[in-house]
Amino acid sequence: MVVLLLVCLFPLLLTVLTSVIPEGDLFHIITGKTLLDFETNPMFLRTKMKTIGNKTYELLKNEKSESENTYLEIKNETPDELTGIGIFLGDKNFQLIKSFTCDMKISGGITELFIGIKDIDEQIKILPLEGDLIKADWGKQQIVIPLDRYEGVDLKHVSQLQILFSSPEVGDGICLDNIGVNYKFPTLMNFVNVWEENDFARYMFNSGVISIFTVLGNLILSTMVAYALARKQFRGKEFIFGLILATMMIPPQITIIPIFMMMEKLNWINTFYALIIPTLVTPFGIFLMRQYIEQLPVEIDQAAYVDGANDFQIFFRIILPLSGPGLAVLGINSFITSWNSLYYPLVMTNSKDMRTVQVGLAMFSKLNQVEWPKLMAASTLAGLPVIIIFLIFQKQIISGLVDGAVKS
Amino acid sequence: MKKKTKQRWVLFAFLSPWLILFSIFGLYPILFSFVVSFTKYSGLNPNMEFVGFENYIKAFQDEVFLIALKNTMIFVVGTIPFTTGIALVIGILLNNRRLKGKDFFKSAFFLPSVISMVVISMIWIYMYSSNGLFNTLGSLLGFKMEDRSWLASTKTALPAIMFMDVWAAFGYYVILIFAGLQSIPEQLYEAARIDGAGPFRIATKITLPLLKPTLFFVIAINTIRSFQVFSEIYTMTGGGPRNSTQTIVHYLYEVSFRKFEMGYGSAIAYILLMIIMVITLIQKRVLRKEV
Repeated sequence: MVVLLLVCLFPLLLTVLTSVIPEGDLFHIITGKTLLDFETNPMFLRTKMKTIGNKTYELLKNEKSESENTYLEIKNETPDELTGIGIFLGDKNFQLIKSFTCDMKISGGITELFIGIKDIDEQIKILPLEGDLIKADWGKQQIVIPLDRYEGVDLKHVSQLQILFSSPEVGDGICLDNIGVNYKFPTLMNFVNVWEENDFARYMFNSGVISIFTVLGNLILSTMVAYALARKQFRGKEFIFGLILATMMIPPQITIIPIFMMMEKLNWINTFYALIIPTLVTPFGIFLMRQYIEQLPVEIDQAAYVDGANDFQIFFRIILPLSGPGLAVLGINSFITSWNSLYYPLVMTNSKDMRTVQVGLAMFSKLNQVEWPKLMAASTLAGLPVIIIFLIFQKQIISGLVDGAVKS
Repeated sequence: MKKKTKQRWVLFAFLSPWLILFSIFGLYPILFSFVVSFTKYSGLNPNMEFVGFENYIKAFQDEVFLIALKNTMIFVVGTIPFTTGIALVIGILLNNRRLKGKDFFKSAFFLPSVISMVVISMIWIYMYSSNGLFNTLGSLLGFKMEDRSWLASTKTALPAIMFMDVWAAFGYYVILIFAGLQSIPEQLYEAARIDGAGPFRIATKITLPLLKPTLFFVIAINTIRSFQVFSEIYTMTGGGPRNSTQTIVHYLYEVSFRKFEMGYGSAIAYILLMIIMVITLIQKRVLRKEV
């Protein structure tokens, strides 16, 4: 049984684990990679880096190493001017990065190294690197960049990393090789990224608003209808109830085209109205609450009626407060249904601002097919509210399911 | 008399949320889409042109619709026995009196059913990807795996989605079957045991016959649900590659909201309704005969 269970829940575990990986996927976790090893020809190197302060540099062979190994040497031409290289990064999130590494050799009287960070809006900041890094011979350097000091630069979108030096003497220089990057692992940056950069904050907000209003609507309106069906005697009652049950069976695809046309005429496409109003009363809600109210003792409302209470007072003061457990089942089930629905919000929205989290996630996956950590972080976010609610209210959810299904 | 009128108003007030919303978003759309299904109507051109049964005829001459129909049938027939079978086995295992932590197991098996199909699809896109779980496991076990996603091949895409659907859905039915099993009185088992019946005989002579109504119900709602498969198709493949995962509802979505051929879309929706109704009726007949 336990083995079965583990097999069954393994995909969920996989998702959460993948969402904290910096890059790659669970079977190929990339915690670091080489940015530049200078083994390419100079033409190609031009697409990866540029020089600063000095137009020329040399690519030299390292005689000590046995394999073919080229490194870069750059010297300064003007005294006390910042000289070095800028490495093109495209659009990199520095919050993901733990440190940079490189092999480095320094010649002459260079006493300080500088690290420059340039973001995609061309904002740049150059600061001296703290710590004792200067070595005369080849040595592996760990460069940890104090990110909090680079205020004013958008560290989530860095386009260039610059490694610079200055020296009073012309002809001093540095040699660089195997420039690489180490990622933080595990990291929560994927969550921050999808939340802030990929509009998931907005999607979650939209889904939240829709779900809350749907839940409230169902709690009050469906229960009102259920009250009438449970307590009132009138002609056609069984017909109405049968009709309500029958509508549970009708596939939503039948009604969605006319509803879409209606919403278009009302100019309600891309509004909360279109996404909330049609779901305010559901057959499931009426059915469930009718069952619940029927098993409340009639004597209570009769007593209240004798005391002069009208139906609305009976409903709001007696029936609703007494229906707590039934309302809990209904509320939770409406929330989950509403939060998880895809078809309806997909049809009723076409602007990015009004997408629900399910629509947003489906669209997001089409654009980012290989960025698994981000995709899994987004999936975790989209699934989390429902999972939390499930963990808290499992009993109500399961009993709602059994009531709603078996008894019908 | 006055009191009676007042009573009527009160009743009307209580029923009004349903009356209003049902007429606007239920009854009217059902009737209107029936009308639309006999017209040539596109969302872009508001003029409706009555074309008789043309849309219905078109559907059965439309190659893509026929593929979608076939795929949907394969999906329904290919998933339901597994979903029901697995749910039945786990339900019976859970019903073992000596098993501790039943509630925990029930909840845990049920968990995937509360998660949205989009999220589940995302997880499985990942597992089916060229570097994903299945290819990695396969290579570890020494199989030669193709270096591409399982969803990218016309041969494997539909079975892959069906396999996922079984995983995603069975927990829901475990709960229903378990509830059905719980309603079988314990005395029956005891009587059978006293008469010397073994576990196999108990299962075939007591459990299964008494569980039949539940099982038929499970199969019925599962059929209706499976005919409407959409979210996973939309998220995982968009109907591709080469329509190999195209299903009725996904095709209906494409026709109505991508191409805006709403008349044709409505006709497809009604064909779907017909199919579901016929199958539900057949199942009801069978159910009545058997029980």
